[in-house]
Amino acid sequence: MSELLKIDNVTINFGGLTAVDSLNMTLTEGNIRALIGPNGAGKSTIFNLVTGIYTPSKGRIIFRGQIINKLPPHKITGRGIARTFQNIRLFSELSVIDNVKIGYHCRSRGSFIDALLRSPAIKREEAHTHERALTCLALMELADKAEEVAGNLSYGEQRRLEIARALATNPALLCLDEPAAGMNPIEKEKLANIIRKIKEMGITIFLVEHDMKFVMNLAEKVTVLDYGKIIASGTPAEVQRNPAVIEAYLGKEVV
Amino acid sequence: MDSLLTNYISPYYIKIFTLVGIYIIIALGLNFISGVTGQLSFGHAAFVSIGAYTAAILTTRLQLPFLPSLLVGGLLAAVVGILLGFPILRLTGDYLGIATLGFGEIVIVVFQNMDITGGTIGLSGIAKNTSLSLVVLVVIFTIWSMYRLENSRFGRALMAIREDEIAANVMGINITAYKIQAFGIGTFFAGIGGGLYAHMIQYLNPTDFGFSRSFEYLTFVVLGGLGSIPGTILGTTVLTLAPEFLRFVAEYRMMIYGALMVIMMIFRPRGLLGGVNLSKKIRALKNKKKTTIPSDAR
Amino acid sequence: MFWQQLINGITLGSTYALIALGYTMVYGIIQLINFAHGEIYMIGAFVGVVAVTVFQLNIFIALFVAMTVCIIIGVSVERIAYKPLRRSTRLAPLISAIGVSIFLQTLMTLIAGPQAVGFPQVINDQLYHIGSVTVSKVQVIILILASALMVGLQLIIKYLRIGKAMRAASEDYDTASLMGINVNRVISFTFALGSALAAAGGVMVGMYFNSIHPLMGVMAGTKAFCAAVLGGIGSIPGAMLGGLFLGVAEVGGVALGYGGYRDAIAFTLLILVLLFKPTGLLGRPIQRKV
Ligand SMILES: Nc1ncnc2c1ncn2[C@@H]1O[C@H](COP(=O)(O)OP(=O)(O)O)[C@@H](O)[C@H]1O
Ligand SMILES: [Mg+2]
Repeated sequence: MSELLKIDNVTINFGGLTAVDSLNMTLTEGNIRALIGPNGAGKSTIFNLVTGIYTPSKGRIIFRGQIINKLPPHKITGRGIARTFQNIRLFSELSVIDNVKIGYHCRSRGSFIDALLRSPAIKREEAHTHERALTCLALMELADKAEEVAGNLSYGEQRRLEIARALATNPALLCLDEPAAGMNPIEKEKLANIIRKIKEMGITIFLVEHDMKFVMNLAEKVTVLDYGKIIASGTPAEVQRNPAVIEAYLGKEVV
Repeated sequence: MDSLLTNYISPYYIKIFTLVGIYIIIALGLNFISGVTGQLSFGHAAFVSIGAYTAAILTTRLQLPFLPSLLVGGLLAAVVGILLGFPILRLTGDYLGIATLGFGEIVIVVFQNMDITGGTIGLSGIAKNTSLSLVVLVVIFTIWSMYRLENSRFGRALMAIREDEIAANVMGINITAYKIQAFGIGTFFAGIGGGLYAHMIQYLNPTDFGFSRSFEYLTFVVLGGLGSIPGTILGTTVLTLAPEFLRFVAEYRMMIYGALMVIMMIFRPRGLLGGVNLSKKIRALKNKKKTTIPSDAR
Repeated sequence: MFWQQLINGITLGSTYALIALGYTMVYGIIQLINFAHGEIYMIGAFVGVVAVTVFQLNIFIALFVAMTVCIIIGVSVERIAYKPLRRSTRLAPLISAIGVSIFLQTLMTLIAGPQAVGFPQVINDQLYHIGSVTVSKVQVIILILASALMVGLQLIIKYLRIGKAMRAASEDYDTASLMGINVNRVISFTFALGSALAAAGGVMVGMYFNSIHPLMGVMAGTKAFCAAVLGGIGSIPGAMLGGLFLGVAEVGGVALGYGGYRDAIAFTLLILVLLFKPTGLLGRPIQRKV
């Protein structure tokens, strides 16, 4: 299978701190790749680099053969990378379905003039957006909440809504930043199934997670990060046995 | 039409209602910028003045017909808004507010120093072209536009920016481009309102468009319910009529007005209609009846 | 000529700085643009006039009285109009502040009338000549007083317990309150300090220009706020620097023949600074942490 995302020797500094240090990583199309590591290891920073929120101090990020690290976030989304946020960032005063429709923004058309004129073509486009949003919501088992205000959803529902919104952008690569955080075991199991379903749709998944067990049952390959550097990479079983990982990750905190 | 109305309503009330209408147009423009898109502007009155002066200069000095002049005033206000937007819409929150305030004051000083505007003496001799019926028509057009703009892909993008710029950006929205467009649209309506105002009051002075005025518009919007079209209309109406109703307290009028602002904020910090989204409510009701959600979709 | 304008600019600028400090301290802690702050300054000037003319007080005692009265008003305004709105939307306290500002302006117009009021000449018009530069006694007093007040402020913030609490709350409001700092007291104290400085600024401007007005706080307050933003809002040295910078630029602009654009100078500078340094000269950059 072909390579979808290549992080090529990427470094980012914040003042004196090197949050990500000469990182190399390649994601294979159609896989679930997990990224684990203790708090502050630089996992979210990698997502921020990949989605264009941060620009690398050094190195390149290549997506489908093209350099993307100089593009602004909205263009990167257009190229096919979507994400969720570790600290939920929904449009919390808007309805659930509007949140998802906003995700479909980059795949639809309609200027302010179209908004005023509401031509039949634009009405069709709107109807299509609506359908599409409902589909994404149904996939995340949120269809019955469509008209609710996003901020009123439960924590677990908000996490799922973030995924629905990201899916609406029609991505080739979906970056999930600790999607199971704060969920109970039953919710986690449901989420794992949903993630598998998304993978079956042909979407590559880049998964940051704290919960080792959650990752182990899901990912083909696991990469372990500590202080911005990769300390181990391999199948879940390999990584679990790696003494450096046990030292750096499991030794530090009980998950 | 208006002459017909004067048979039933006193000219004084016609004047007040016309003013309320003009303020509604202007305030809806500001609501679009600050309420819908979430970009704080403390300089809205400056765009009103650009529209007012442009339209007035076109009709008085160039003898152009009123309606095209009005439109040009609105467009020029929008152009200035867009040109200003490019550099300053990078700023966020209070910084944007204070930069727009600064810009507004600069506009006033520039008008004070120009010949064509009549400088500090002001511009007089403007024909009374603004009628209540025209204002009502423009108000309806404004409400209609705002409603359509908000309930569209375009409007959703603006609200996403208001809610969370970074998330909006990551969802594929070019935030700068959208903010600038929103600013252009909001300032367009400010300019239109300004042209109507000029041809109602018939005299313009730069000091009538200072930041106190900008804050007045902001108060209309916030007191009514930031981001809400009916709220903005209600806030504008109540606050424009309030000084009239408070006439019996004579010189204490503005004092009470100020105190009322504080009291209203304390008791309804989100505005009179804040958090009430009528159009969404209506739509939600409609949807409940119409669409049954596909349970097995995908 | 240059040095003369510089001295005049610094004199004006030091009054802006005194007002700007109140804006910046309040903003630093509760992120509120206290639009009524200009009115506190105006009231300070009026209290000063009353103290000097009606009660025949010495100007320094008058200054003290004005500061005391304004502390009471400033703290009460916070209690009544802002405190109930501390946990609400960002714009609610701002509108409340504008309401307070309108209220105080009209109140003073009712009391003192809408015209300008003369501020008696309390300092004799002695002039000092240093080379080609002429400095009046009033200017000397203003410069000394303003410096003393600013040094005093620094000492309070550095060494007093409550001053340290202020700094902590300004760094991180939530942590400070979690750590058991009485945030209400800190906020009241901040308003007290800011109001006292603004009152002093008001009395000094009265002394300097010999004329005060119920609406004098509007433009001065707004410009002082610009000074605070220009210097980096939340930063105390920033407010001082911004005030001085603005005063000098304004006086310099007028001297260069841009008198008609006097009021635009401050705002033009403000926008330029914000475009190149979005958080002001001494402001910390905004962290875009996701
Ligand atoms: N914008 C920023 N400014 C300064 N430091 C940052 C910024 N973003 C992340 N960091 C730092 O980089 C390190 C990695 O953070 P992060 O990627 O969030 O870790 P995690 O692996 O827990 O997701 C942390 O020390 C964090 O404080
Ligand atoms: Mg993280």
